[in-house]
Amino acid sequence: RYVRQLQRLQLLFSPTASDARGARQFVEEVAQDFARQHPDVVLYVSPHSGPGPAPVLRAEYLNGTVREEVIASKTSEEIMQLAIKLANQSGLDIIRIRKPFHTDNPSVQGQWHPLTNKPSILTVQGPRLQPQ
Amino acid sequence: PAMAARLLLRAARPLLAGAGRGTGFGTAPSTALSTAPPPEKKRWLRAYLELQRLQAPPQRRSEKPNWDYHAEIQAFSHRLQENFSLDLLKTAFVNPCYIKSEEERRRQLGLDKDAVALQLQDNTGLAERGLRFARAYLAQCFEGAYPELPAKGIEALVNFLTSQELVSYVARNLSLQDLALCRDFPVPPDVLQRTFLAVIGALLESSGPERTGIFVRDFFIPQLIGKDLFEIWEVVNPMGLLLEELTKRNTSAPEPRITRQLGVSTVLPVYFVGLYCDKKILAEGPGETLLAAEEEAARVALRKLYGYTENRRPWDYSKPKQGLAAKKAVSSN
Repeated sequence: RYVRQLQRLQLLFSPTASDARGARQFVEEVAQDFARQHPDVVLYVSPHSGPGPAPVLRAEYLNGTVREEVIASKTSEEIMQLAIKLANQSGLDIIRIRKPFHTDNPSVQGQWHPLTNKPSILTVQGPRLQPQ
Repeated sequence: PAMAARLLLRAARPLLAGAGRGTGFGTAPSTALSTAPPPEKKRWLRAYLELQRLQAPPQRRSEKPNWDYHAEIQAFSHRLQENFSLDLLKTAFVNPCYIKSEEERRRQLGLDKDAVALQLQDNTGLAERGLRFARAYLAQCFEGAYPELPAKGIEALVNFLTSQELVSYVARNLSLQDLALCRDFPVPPDVLQRTFLAVIGALLESSGPERTGIFVRDFFIPQLIGKDLFEIWEVVNPMGLLLEELTKRNTSAPEPRITRQLGVSTVLPVYFVGLYCDKKILAEGPGETLLAAEEEAARVALRKLYGYTENRRPWDYSKPKQGLAAKKAVSSN
């Protein structure tokens, strides 16, 4: 069955900073809808007062990866879309994929080896066994 | 560039702009960026503090900031798409080592005897029930899917699926090591196994045997994908086992013949030995020496007889129609 890989989202922002306006709007308007639509993600909202680091959305996944996205100067719709994107990701590292294809069954009829189409030692060929 | 370094260090404020320039912190792995204290202004101290932070022992998630146990448990039950009764689930996460360590701590803090005794039940009962149900259900699944497989084979498969490494691997990827209450961290695999089986027991009590059966099927049987039967089941004498199987089906003993051979006089010969019953081919297997090839051919023949080849039909994950199967599992407990 499908198990959402996102465990929890932590929204760290400051209540007075100017670039955290989108984060504050998100918390006031849209955060409850997001939490209701995604009941398997725990949403933590932690405002830290006073001037501090930039507002950040931290996502923790089931395999332990922690991904942080800076949400300074983003509107609340953009933050919602970002949260949905993080919720649909898995926690695998975002690196270059070497090949866009992978298969667990590389061969259907059996992989070729030098003896595939050679007749075996035991086949007996006599004058009577040849087709008429 | 300075702009990228500032953004990465989340020091967009002019106060800390001076501190955020030109260090190696921006390239640290993602785990190091979490819960970073505000970067030190003294440049010569930063490397030392970073080293201290990386060498600190791993901490439980419950001791880091932003943790709500009740919310996490609710999210856990939603993530697995199952309705748990939350009390049973909370007892399922409590391990006996946790109760003992808590009582020790309270006794050391000097509390009265009434306060020392915790009113928590541990999860051993639930774990036992979960283990029994899981084993019975898996054995029944395999008997239905591979009717030719003997009892020892089914037992080996069930033992593999309920073994410590597999269950603790599944539990670790379902975030059980954050929720389980245990004395040591990181959680040892037998504790994780017990916790996961207790979760299965709790599900059995709350939702009934059918849903628990579907749960066990969805999380345990995909672990068999890509695995060969004889990797899981150790068979010492495949030829003897094959002879037993053939006598049960009233066929004559197999006759091994060399079908193909390559490089006989070299260091790496390859022999293909075929097993023939009444001059009809049963199976063919390769090997380095004639004995190895014969053993391999016996294994291939056993795989064909038990229906566990690589090209068998994949497992059927569709919704079950009757509840009879699950009821049989419960009655056999």
